[in-house]
Amino acid sequence: MGGEAGPNWNDLATRARRRRRLTMALLTGFLTLVSVPILLPYFWMVMIAFTARSGSAETWALWRALAILVPLTLGYAVAYQILAPRWRLIAGAGALALAGGLMALFLGEALHLSNFRFLANPNVVEEIRGQATAGGQFPWVWDALLNSLILAASQTLIVVTVATLAGYYLSRFAFRGRAGFLQGLLVLQAFPAVTLVIPIFLIAYWTGLLNTLVAPILVITALELPFFIFIMKGFFDAVPWDIEMSALTDGATRRQAFRIVVLPQVRSGMIAIGVFAFIKGWEEYVFVTGLRTGNSYWVMSTYLYYIKEDVMGVDYGLVAAVSLIYVLPSLCLYLFAQKYLTQMTLGGVKG
Amino acid sequence: MHNPRPRRRNVRSAHADTALFLGPAIVLLAIFFLAPIVVNFVTAFSNMEQTVRFEDFPTTRQFDKLWKPNDAALLGFELRSGFSRALWLSLIYVVFTLGIFNVTFALILALTTTALPDRTGAFFRAVWLLPRMSPSVVYALLWLWVVDSSDRGLLNQILGAAGFDPVNLRLDHPMAVIVVANGLIGASLGMIIFTSAIRSIPVHLFHAARADGAGPLAITRHVVLPALRWPLSYITIYQALALLVSFEYIFLIMGPARSTMTMAMLSYTKSLAPSIGGGQYAYGAAISMILIVIGIVVALLMWRLANMKSLLQAPRIEVR
Amino acid sequence: MSLLRSAAAIIALAGTALPAFAEEITVSLWSRADRSGPLRAGNIVTAAEQLNRMFAAAGSETRIAIDLIETNAEGFDADALELLKAHSVGETPDIIVAAHEWIGAFVEAGLAANLEAHITENPDMYADMIPALWDSVKYKGERYGIPQDSEIRMFFVNNDILRAMGKDEAFIAALPGQVNAGEFTMYDWCDLAAEAVASGAAKYGWVHRPNVGPDFQMAMASFGIDIYNDEEAKLQITRSGLTEYYKWLGYCVETGALPADMTTWSWDSTHAAFRTGEALGKFHGIWNVGAQMESFGLTGAEDYFAKLTWINAPAGAKGGQPKNLSHPIVYVVGDTPNKDIAAMLVAMASQHVPNTRHAVGTNHTPINYGQAAMPEFVQNGWALIAGIPMLDYAEFMPNHARIGQYNAITYQGVQAVETGEMTAEEAAEFVVEELEVELGDDVIILD
Repeated sequence: MGGEAGPNWNDLATRARRRRRLTMALLTGFLTLVSVPILLPYFWMVMIAFTARSGSAETWALWRALAILVPLTLGYAVAYQILAPRWRLIAGAGALALAGGLMALFLGEALHLSNFRFLANPNVVEEIRGQATAGGQFPWVWDALLNSLILAASQTLIVVTVATLAGYYLSRFAFRGRAGFLQGLLVLQAFPAVTLVIPIFLIAYWTGLLNTLVAPILVITALELPFFIFIMKGFFDAVPWDIEMSALTDGATRRQAFRIVVLPQVRSGMIAIGVFAFIKGWEEYVFVTGLRTGNSYWVMSTYLYYIKEDVMGVDYGLVAAVSLIYVLPSLCLYLFAQKYLTQMTLGGVKG
Repeated sequence: MHNPRPRRRNVRSAHADTALFLGPAIVLLAIFFLAPIVVNFVTAFSNMEQTVRFEDFPTTRQFDKLWKPNDAALLGFELRSGFSRALWLSLIYVVFTLGIFNVTFALILALTTTALPDRTGAFFRAVWLLPRMSPSVVYALLWLWVVDSSDRGLLNQILGAAGFDPVNLRLDHPMAVIVVANGLIGASLGMIIFTSAIRSIPVHLFHAARADGAGPLAITRHVVLPALRWPLSYITIYQALALLVSFEYIFLIMGPARSTMTMAMLSYTKSLAPSIGGGQYAYGAAISMILIVIGIVVALLMWRLANMKSLLQAPRIEVR
Repeated sequence: MSLLRSAAAIIALAGTALPAFAEEITVSLWSRADRSGPLRAGNIVTAAEQLNRMFAAAGSETRIAIDLIETNAEGFDADALELLKAHSVGETPDIIVAAHEWIGAFVEAGLAANLEAHITENPDMYADMIPALWDSVKYKGERYGIPQDSEIRMFFVNNDILRAMGKDEAFIAALPGQVNAGEFTMYDWCDLAAEAVASGAAKYGWVHRPNVGPDFQMAMASFGIDIYNDEEAKLQITRSGLTEYYKWLGYCVETGALPADMTTWSWDSTHAAFRTGEALGKFHGIWNVGAQMESFGLTGAEDYFAKLTWINAPAGAKGGQPKNLSHPIVYVVGDTPNKDIAAMLVAMASQHVPNTRHAVGTNHTPINYGQAAMPEFVQNGWALIAGIPMLDYAEFMPNHARIGQYNAITYQGVQAVETGEMTAEEAAEFVVEELEVELGDDVIILD
């Protein structure tokens, strides 16, 4: 063993690498452990929607599917670490194909779409459980979906517009009472919607907006505003002044500078709050039920709520299928806007 | 950085700017935030019940339902059992959800997911955002199915497979159920705020720290956490207040059960909860009043303590 | 003859009140999506169709259109609250299907129209109504509704489970008599149910409704609580009776006769527990018979009573009286511009043929004497006929304006005691305090 003059760099590097790999593996393991309980019920719901027959929330389909998918996922994860990049894609494709094949083999015959018949037939519940009304008990799900869409989309449009405008103004202009306004916004964030359900109900009644979609649209917009204004202000604060200044010195008015130069910079912010706003409008339950009397209009949240109350325990498949249809838009929007969400900051901190 | 420019606009244009940019926000906030607060105040001091009339204004009848005079007690008033129970449950709910999930676990998630390579970290963050992104009725439904006390419930199936007896969480541990249910949702907001804050720490600080021989824990303590001080205080305050007044998930999962009747739930159940709301609008408004007062006090207190003034940095441009 | 006269009256009414061109009168009908009574609303729709045919026959252009509002409320109490909310914002419906005890609250809110004049002016429509039923629609001596049906409530007992426990036929046959004689008490019932669970013959002892409702009044009456003071026209509670009642509930839960989380079950699981033979008993009402026949695969009266026994609510203590509660559902006419035509529609829907269709189809008791003679009734209404003796012990709830609140508060005590949150004494104290606070002068607290 010849004496080395200095530390063995190779050894140190290997050790450091190994330790790093170990830390990564532990962290990944920990996160997987805590994330599985979140994913599992959703996956279960999907399975029930496609396999449940008359009744219960059976889990055999879930376990079988997991028995196929989990080993394959683990195998792929290991392969990903070991193999060179070239092979990773092939390994991934192979795993996917194998998963598909096995699922078709073991679960194929159990899969069916009859739980989705509510998409075509508005009287599914009364057919299952018996006549309950002189008219139909539930509307056609597409009516509820349309109302939810109108509610969520209108509300998103309004809130993004208003919050962006207000955020810009707060970020760029000094005006008397600015500090107080911001402080007030912060305090308004202190009591979200729910303390104000009762008085908002009264105000909606006095302005004649009860039993319309307009009321929840405006209400939800207003109640999300403080938070979103802050977020947008943060995004505007991060836009360097130089861009705007050069536009102004080039002869643009303030508003033109805002529209042409600054706005594109905060696009990701607008998308982020737009996604949040849409999802909030899509899921809104409290203000929809509070601001209507009787069954004057249906949205998806009330549709699911009452169907689940009615047939839970008799037809889990139906409830799961309705939930799946309901979740899908939220999920798609969320996956699409993922990267924008993580860019949200609370403005005014950096610099 | 002020840039004096020739005054090309007059005051009217400035007002137009304000009206255009700030006007809509002010109008909406005034109608649907400020006006309700005033209305709530007035309602709380009336006897408005199922018929929406301001009877007997002003009266403190509603507050008599919450406490009663008792010379022997502190301050001469004694809280009625229903109300003191609601206060207590609210306290437990807020403290535990905030302490365990909304702040602590959010921090852990942010730290761990940023330590991992980007794609993996993003994947786990995506998973943890799922509860917040799914509609509340669906999320509550899944919870009900998971904790179902029969052996159809997913939890009981897993316990059964492991050889344990089935549990009835909604009966035996209702507060735990709502703490975890709300916590899983609450953790995600803190997670993304903290994540973006961590991401914005200049990389050279990390390099410098490592060059000085700091290990991962030391880096976390000395580089990461100081950068998170401001988001941490903001999230703590904001989430504490949000939790104080939240009831939607409690209502959807536990219904009007007495074991989870926090103050917000009490107000909602007495007034507008579908199928149970008793139309006791004034009573509900009185409880909301108390929540509002607590909220404002806590907000202002924490404003001072956490030095929120940094949020109000002067605007970039003071130009008209 | 009388119908023609009424039709002429209606047409004259329509003719004078409206311009003489094609006119559609929209009558709004508020009801609940209720599997045990879809024809409550359905009969009004049919009546409107009949009336339209009369208009057509008379050459009139007037037509009635029914605007259905069918809520998904969990129970009649919940539905009444939704209705009051709608009324409070000016959306008063013209015809309402409601539980009778809410009439007081409706009148105080200005929702219900006074029907005294209508009833006395149309004697042929109402002459055959069972007189006792009129008590259920009276508030301060005047009638504000038309009875739509009534029912009989009972504890259903699954005889097969009793047999599996080792009870003989003599025991089963003697049970109703023992209850009526006051020898089989509420505590004996819970002991029986607990025995069923302990012996493995049943999974649950007995189940009751998982939300607020009239059933609990019946149980409270068994413990000597008289909830209405006739002289003072106020609600009333007896502290000791209440404590006894809650003590009994606590006892049932402790011995395993009643599930501790009963108040958090869904309606679905409650029905399912009994109809799949998992529970020994169910505290509900006669309209369950149809669904029970289907689930158990029974084909007639003999089959049915071999499988199931009915008992009144047993007395709280030995030597006491068993209790029953009759809970009529009523049509209320809203105090709206359409109230006259709405009242006529209600009158038509309350005739023998439509009412029997509802009564026999969903097992509710008839409102007119003549219905019991109809062949359809005699043939298919055996359950109702069998239940008539139980009505001897039946009372109505009072139509006090705050009875809804009263029920909601006493139910809170049930929740507290069953889940073990409070002891019986604590729960009674709590409920009495809440009653004092929320009802004030409207309730008399007795010891």
